[in-house]
Amino acid sequence: YACSLLRQGMRQIIVTLDSPEIVALEKATPAPDKAAIAQASKRSVVEQLEEGTAQVSKFTSDAFALIIDGKSLVYALEPDVEKLFLALAVGCASVICCRSSPKQKALVTRLVKSGTKKTTLAIGDGANDVGMLQEADIGVGISGVEGMQAVMSSDVAIAQFRFLERLLLVHGHWCYRRISSMICYFFYKNLAFGFTIFFYEAYTTFSGQPAYNDWFMSLYNVFFTSLPVIALGVFDQDVSSKYCLKFPMLYQEGVQNRLFSWRRILGWMFNGVATATIIFFFTVKAMSPQGYDRDGKPADYPIIGATMYTAVVWVVNLQMALAITYFTLIQHVFIWGSIAIWYLFLLAYGALPPSISTTAYDVFVETLAPTPAYYAVTGFVVVSALVPYFAYSSVQTRFFPMYHTVIQWMRHQGKADDPEYCEAVRQSSIGHTTVGLTARSLARSNSL
Amino acid sequence: KKGFPESMNSSAPSSSSAGQGSAESPAARRNSKRPKYSKFTQQELPACKPILTPKWVISIFLLVSVVFIPIGVVSLYASRDVVEIVDRYDADCIPVSSRNDKLSYIQGPEDKTCNRTLTVTKLMKKPVHVYYQLEGFYQNHRRYVRSRNDQQLRNPGHARDTSSCSPEDTTPNGVPIVPCGLVAWSLFNDTYDLSRNQQRLTINKKGISWKSDRDHKFGKNVYPQNFQNGTLIGGGTLNSSIPLSEQEDLIVWMRTAALPNFRKLYGRIEVDLQPGDVIRVTLQNRYNTYSFDGKKKLVLSTANWLGGKNDFVGIAYLTVGALCFFLAILFSLIYLIKPRQLGDPAYLSWNRNPVGR
Repeated sequence: YACSLLRQGMRQIIVTLDSPEIVALEKATPAPDKAAIAQASKRSVVEQLEEGTAQVSKFTSDAFALIIDGKSLVYALEPDVEKLFLALAVGCASVICCRSSPKQKALVTRLVKSGTKKTTLAIGDGANDVGMLQEADIGVGISGVEGMQAVMSSDVAIAQFRFLERLLLVHGHWCYRRISSMICYFFYKNLAFGFTIFFYEAYTTFSGQPAYNDWFMSLYNVFFTSLPVIALGVFDQDVSSKYCLKFPMLYQEGVQNRLFSWRRILGWMFNGVATATIIFFFTVKAMSPQGYDRDGKPADYPIIGATMYTAVVWVVNLQMALAITYFTLIQHVFIWGSIAIWYLFLLAYGALPPSISTTAYDVFVETLAPTPAYYAVTGFVVVSALVPYFAYSSVQTRFFPMYHTVIQWMRHQGKADDPEYCEAVRQSSIGHTTVGLTARSLARSNSL
Repeated sequence: KKGFPESMNSSAPSSSSAGQGSAESPAARRNSKRPKYSKFTQQELPACKPILTPKWVISIFLLVSVVFIPIGVVSLYASRDVVEIVDRYDADCIPVSSRNDKLSYIQGPEDKTCNRTLTVTKLMKKPVHVYYQLEGFYQNHRRYVRSRNDQQLRNPGHARDTSSCSPEDTTPNGVPIVPCGLVAWSLFNDTYDLSRNQQRLTINKKGISWKSDRDHKFGKNVYPQNFQNGTLIGGGTLNSSIPLSEQEDLIVWMRTAALPNFRKLYGRIEVDLQPGDVIRVTLQNRYNTYSFDGKKKLVLSTANWLGGKNDFVGIAYLTVGALCFFLAILFSLIYLIKPRQLGDPAYLSWNRNPVGR
């Protein structure tokens, strides 16, 4: 009861081998009959499990706690009984296996992992937890009184058990969001770039002549678009840690895979292709075949390539600025810096002798910078490539907000410090589940 | 919806934290092992956290439309200001008798002179740019683009540098061709003589190429050698006493175009052309575009700060500006008609589709 695994209002199902019959068998003289004990024990365990299952299916709206000890666990984990045991355990809100050996801990973890096909997390601090930690998908080791064995065999190490809350709700949520956003964005930016090259090929009879200078293409993912992605994957936060802890249901975004569903992935990919289409066809239509500068010289391969590339770099970086809602100095430096690096690179590369810079020689200083048409084309191509996403984002934020967006709105409107309002949000965001039912009622009765 | 209480009590966390009885004892030791607090490592850097409020959405759309519509109008005016005359001549410049065997005509020795007439409809202020436009000519084909040697073009000492120029690298005797490669070999060689009222209009052929090309990519002491000497004639010939840096037609031609439909500057007319002027063009229809059904056009065009004639930029600006304006109005209407309490959890996607366990 101290750690709220067992709460008031929970029905308990206790599976032990304390029945008089089994005790008598164990105390039989002259020597206990092992085979008989085993048989009787197994029968008893199965009986108790079946009884428990019947109870659970009868009282569907109540929370159940299953308590089973190490001796019974031996029989409950046998191949023919384990399915029954797992089914009952999954139907209970809490399961407590007391006095289990390290091997049993690992076996129970494996049973849950393979039986439910869900991600399992194990936490422990002693050497007897090592098996369990390694068996689970995520092993959290607690460093401290019992030594460093658990820490050494774990995936994540924390110093105190209570840090688990922060680990899951804050860092777990942030990491999920960062990784899914980063992957979606990475697909987006490479599609936006690659499809412009692909469309260009249609105009070169697919001979393989790229639309851009070779070094432009090699350095795309290195200099001009890599830093913002790093900022997104390492630093991004949708809500601050305070709110992650305040609204634990935010963690469900990860459990229900809301940020990395196929719909989102394909949506971003589609955004990339649409962006590339807009950039390519608008640039090409606007810049040829007529004269390009004041002296009537037309726009040739170096000019059109560099202009289109400029548009791609701007669009991809501005898209990042539109997609994130958390700007520290780091994000600003990385995003605007990447765009600046592109211009600096053009200057530096164009200044190298033509034997090295080939088609990019002097392209910025001589042909792009002094010509208004360059700015005019870049300007409208960049904006028209971003308008669709901006409109979509406005509609989504307003009418179909995700849970973290709701919290951002609350913070923005100053309602996040109002306890009653927060409570209302929390309660109405919970789906139909008995998991945590008594915990919530306990919390409610405690707080008021 | 709910009445808010008068007094604000401190909010209690709803999640019950476990393990209160755990490691309390070595409090002093725990404090000494705690890492130093820094905003960066605790991820609490001062941050700007913008959110797409209705105000922002509408103002951004309005801003875009307010900036773009005037630019669009200005660009459209600039484009409309440019006067352009385009005349396709490759079909008509074949004498009727040779029309069913164009290839043998163009490759044969007959006289290729052709006379065209252009009428100026609006005042064209000087300089009037003369272009030749080719369509269906893939100067951007990979093998074609690579078929040149930039070292050879710059440096007289590198005349033997004809790698990547094949098949136009050397004569059958092994003597190198300068400039080598297919790009130079296919030099455009139609010429145009323009006259107005029986008076010749001089075409200024200086300064039609980019300065960086003249100064740094084509050498001042590199002279054409063995050029266009073979059996297969691909295009024009070059005067071997003029260095490459002054052969502006070649320089213009060798700056490859991005698309199969392109114009290249031929020269400039330094006088005004009045409306109603009849320009007589005497052209030599030498260049063979007939083997691949390409088109040839002669273009006369003025240019201003935005370049040549292309309504697309102006129209695109206007369209995007108008679209953004329309979206701003639309969003304003939606926000007015459906002013929903923002942050209302009833609209959470979870609650509209209740999720099971």
